[in-house]
Amino acid sequence: MTMTSSGTPHFVIVDSGNYFSTQTIQETKKRDDCFVIDMYDLPERDLSPYACMVIDNFVDQELLYQEREQIWQFLNQGKVLIFSGHMFLPWLPGASMFVPKLIRSQHDYEVSIVQQHPIFDGVDPEEMTYTKGVSGFFARGHHPLPSQAEVLLSLPGGEPITYIDRYSTQGTILVHSGNNLFAYSGQGSTVGRIGSQLQNWTREEYRAIQERTRTL
Amino acid sequence: MRKIAVLYGGNSHQFRTLYEPKYHRYLHQIIYLPELPFTSLDDIDVLLIPSQLHQRLVSESQHIIDSFTDRGGVVAAFGAQPNNWIPGHNWEFRPTNFWWWLDSNVRSGLVTERLDHDFFCYLTLKDATWHYHGVFYPPSGAEILIGLEGGGAILYVDKVTTAGTLIMTTLDPEFHYGSYFMPATERFLDKFLPWLAEGEL
Repeated sequence: MTMTSSGTPHFVIVDSGNYFSTQTIQETKKRDDCFVIDMYDLPERDLSPYACMVIDNFVDQELLYQEREQIWQFLNQGKVLIFSGHMFLPWLPGASMFVPKLIRSQHDYEVSIVQQHPIFDGVDPEEMTYTKGVSGFFARGHHPLPSQAEVLLSLPGGEPITYIDRYSTQGTILVHSGNNLFAYSGQGSTVGRIGSQLQNWTREEYRAIQERTRTL
Repeated sequence: MRKIAVLYGGNSHQFRTLYEPKYHRYLHQIIYLPELPFTSLDDIDVLLIPSQLHQRLVSESQHIIDSFTDRGGVVAAFGAQPNNWIPGHNWEFRPTNFWWWLDSNVRSGLVTERLDHDFFCYLTLKDATWHYHGVFYPPSGAEILIGLEGGGAILYVDKVTTAGTLIMTTLDPEFHYGSYFMPATERFLDKFLPWLAEGEL
């Protein structure tokens, strides 16, 4: 189940090339279901073999803005795109610019699961909010929603941290206003479930898009 | 006021920090990293290299950084230095302790013996006190402005390794401010940039 129907890796991981991403990228390169590309190779790369593009919070958004047509075309081929970070340029269909949360106490960072969803199945919101008793690592603001988006997580004022948008393009967009959701792993906390559950959900989502497209 | 140029990798945290008006006023030029090879630094006094840049692109412009220090330019760099873009720092990785301030003795481990330096007319040690991602072991002759108990440097000025001046800190305030993560780092930037622009280096 690690390949697309054409036999190529399911995920294309956009490498932002910075120091903090190095470890995640090296781990990802060991996996046969992921293909890593340097972000500056995006303009030259045929993305059609891949089911899902994963973009982290260190990406060059000036570049993505220049390449927004390619991103739009990728999604309109019925693909999935996962972006984690703070948007400041309009490169992603339907997405609005990041709005930071006004913080008065550490409780303002508390994460709530808005509706049960396979990506966050068995994940304790308390463990998303607090790391060794300190909050603020997970998300510190939100992106205003596109029309008909499905909200998965929110902050105490109802600000959506994580949403799924199936309406702005022919594909599915997941936007998360925090660190790279794809990279959460490990046994120490229920938060470590997120990465693999996100990957499983993405495979199902891609299959559902393909089936929906076939029946049209 | 010195003319400061800063490298900009197009990421959200650098965008927020560099275009914040109170910091932007100190920046003569914001150089988008992919355009660095085509940009003249001839009228620039200080090249500020923030953390979390695309490493291959910076490496490809190594000769530009070298030429800049060769002609006496000032390079200031933030954050971890796993590469040797700037000579002599001897970076050593340390696991990040985000929780140092929760420990019972509430000591960060940061120390200074150079309160006489002009740097401390602008900043206090407290303004530079948060977690760090590693330490430097600079060459003898470099001035360690902020060190660690037990050895190593968090911030130093090196006028011996190159013909220019290297101001190196393992702190990455522009990342944290730009990520809305640890507002305390704002105090550092509020005072560091005026020192870099006008202070005695």
